[in-house]
Amino acid sequence: MRWGVPVAAIAVVGAAISAGPVIAAVQGEPSLPDRTAEQLLAEAARTARDHAPPAMSGTVVETASLGLPALPLPQGASSSPLSLLSGSHTVKVWYGGEGRLRLALPGQMSETDVISDGKGTAWLWESAGNTATRLTVPGDAAAGPDPTPAPTAVTPRDFAAQALKAAEENTAVRVENGEHVAGRAAYQLVLTPKDPASLVDKVTLALDGETYVPLRVRVFAKGAAEPAFEVGFTQVSFSAPAPENFAFTPPAGATVKQQTFGGTDGPGDRAADVAGAALRILGSGWGTVAEVPLSAVSLKADGDGPAKGGDPSRLLESVLKSATPVSGPWGGGKVVKTKLLSVLVTDDGRLFAGAVTPEALVKAAGRR
Amino acid sequence: MSTVDTARGTAAAPAAGDPDSGPVAPSRASSPEGDATGSGAPSGASSPEGEAAGSVAGRAAGPGAGASWAGRSGLRLLGSEVRLTFRRPRNIAMLGALAVVPVVIGVVLRLVGADDDAPSLVTQVAGNGLMLTFVSMSLLTALLLPVAVGVVAGESVAGEAGAGTLRYLLTAPAGRARLLGVKAANVVVFALAACTVVAVSGLVIGLVLFPVGPVTLLSGTTVPLADGLLRLLIVTGYAAAGMAAFGIVGLALSTFTEVPIGAVAATVVTVVFSQVAGAIPQLDPVRPYLLTSWWSSFDGALRDPVATDVMGQGLLVFAAYAFVFGAIAWGRFSGRDITS
Repeated sequence: MRWGVPVAAIAVVGAAISAGPVIAAVQGEPSLPDRTAEQLLAEAARTARDHAPPAMSGTVVETASLGLPALPLPQGASSSPLSLLSGSHTVKVWYGGEGRLRLALPGQMSETDVISDGKGTAWLWESAGNTATRLTVPGDAAAGPDPTPAPTAVTPRDFAAQALKAAEENTAVRVENGEHVAGRAAYQLVLTPKDPASLVDKVTLALDGETYVPLRVRVFAKGAAEPAFEVGFTQVSFSAPAPENFAFTPPAGATVKQQTFGGTDGPGDRAADVAGAALRILGSGWGTVAEVPLSAVSLKADGDGPAKGGDPSRLLESVLKSATPVSGPWGGGKVVKTKLLSVLVTDDGRLFAGAVTPEALVKAAGRR
Repeated sequence: MSTVDTARGTAAAPAAGDPDSGPVAPSRASSPEGDATGSGAPSGASSPEGEAAGSVAGRAAGPGAGASWAGRSGLRLLGSEVRLTFRRPRNIAMLGALAVVPVVIGVVLRLVGADDDAPSLVTQVAGNGLMLTFVSMSLLTALLLPVAVGVVAGESVAGEAGAGTLRYLLTAPAGRARLLGVKAANVVVFALAACTVVAVSGLVIGLVLFPVGPVTLLSGTTVPLADGLLRLLIVTGYAAAGMAAFGIVGLALSTFTEVPIGAVAATVVTVVFSQVAGAIPQLDPVRPYLLTSWWSSFDGALRDPVATDVMGQGLLVFAAYAFVFGAIAWGRFSGRDITS
């Protein structure tokens, strides 16, 4: 009898935890009018053509559970891009229209911010190193790719039809209504690969029912109920954020650096070029396999050095430890399979990667 | 509640003395060794017993009567409880140790200076003394603050049981629920005091040793000093809320044993275990439900805009923990046989 009180307390807290999403779903706006995939795409394309993306702010959470072997990432390297491959990460987003953007990646007693004032100047602020980097985009590039990918030549309806036709070759497309993302009613486009060799079960894209802003992308692996990769808003507001979010003055005492964008001298660019030159694409659609000579991949390793964690060569080494050996008429190799990606490293120094089953990779390796 | 009645029946409950004065504190403070070790209880209990019985009844009943009796006697009980806590040399020593840490950090940074590998927050202390408080708080919430609160909380009920004073406390018609409430409030007061000590010590040393001016937040924006002080207040309050929730967990553990050192150890082990669990990548999904992973979220007050969502969630977690473990403490304490 006495113990009923603590049990009830636990039940109340448990109910409160699980009730959150339920309440959010119930409180959302009434469900949207039904749309076919073609109507939805046409509507989204029309909105993108006629209106600039709306000002908004919100919290984006990225979660990856790719089934990778534990990555040898040092503690506290939460802002390293490689750390996004596992675990969950939160980014705060403010968008003020006209290219004004602020992204904040909060860390433990630290924060990394990207602030763009929409006039060609952006700041990268890293509180952990107390450094502010001024990123300048040269004049012509500043105009940049038009933010609206306006398909001016065709009407939105034609564009939708063409896009769907192209997709239908190897993808089944359908629309789900009644999704709720971050408390907003949303349409969800579901793309299901037709290729049986694909490791991807389906990809879902949730579009806000009013503004057609993408709110969430999820990638499901075959045979898993939980998404292997997910990035989406957990909280979103379509009111204009405060203007001080987009202004940045380096604080006193901070190290200020300059960097100009659009040059070709980044080490990452070079490695990408080398890899790109040797890259071969085999197959098409969801069954696409990329082939890279391994020397090009390992070349990248000396780029950044191990300072900031997630040294690519060490990463590769640790991943290969858990590989299973395979062989085919072309020789032998080792294959690593994660939920979404298979990678085959042959003994003669070629690397095959694709979102396909290992068997498909082995077959691809035989295709000279 | 039947056991309360039996306890009341069997124990001698002499008439109330002056509730606020002398006999209360000395009688229980005079046997701190017994409280601390638990083993000293049987021998030590005989001498303070008579005194304790009288003083306890005085503490609880007091001369007051009437409608506001319950509230006033509860407050008086809390006052006496808090006074006991802050008079105990061990607790004063713990608060002193907490106050010393910011001093040590400040002096070391002043004399040696931070090296380049140190986190930027530490290097910033040299430019702004206010930062010292934030640095100290982030270091201390990891272990020393929870240990201090855990000692007081784990001791609160088990210590009385170990020293043999618990049953005399229960002879008063105050009720077990109220006694537990007073104990909980006492733990909360101590948690707040511990965090305040850290904040004040850091602030004073920061003001003395370093220049003080506008504060640079984690987001890179600079705010005026007054705003910085306000944020300092938020940080202290948030940290205190986290420690108070943890103190309730310690109080619940304390009701399960008569050996105070066992309750204290269990409380501290809870912190360590929870922090280890929070550090294992494979247990990532559990992290949001751990008390320890929210303690350091006070850094939300140092962002621009203030991360109210994260800190609000943290406060909700603290409230949930306090609620559940408060209920567990009540469930255990209200029906337990008090034999010592």
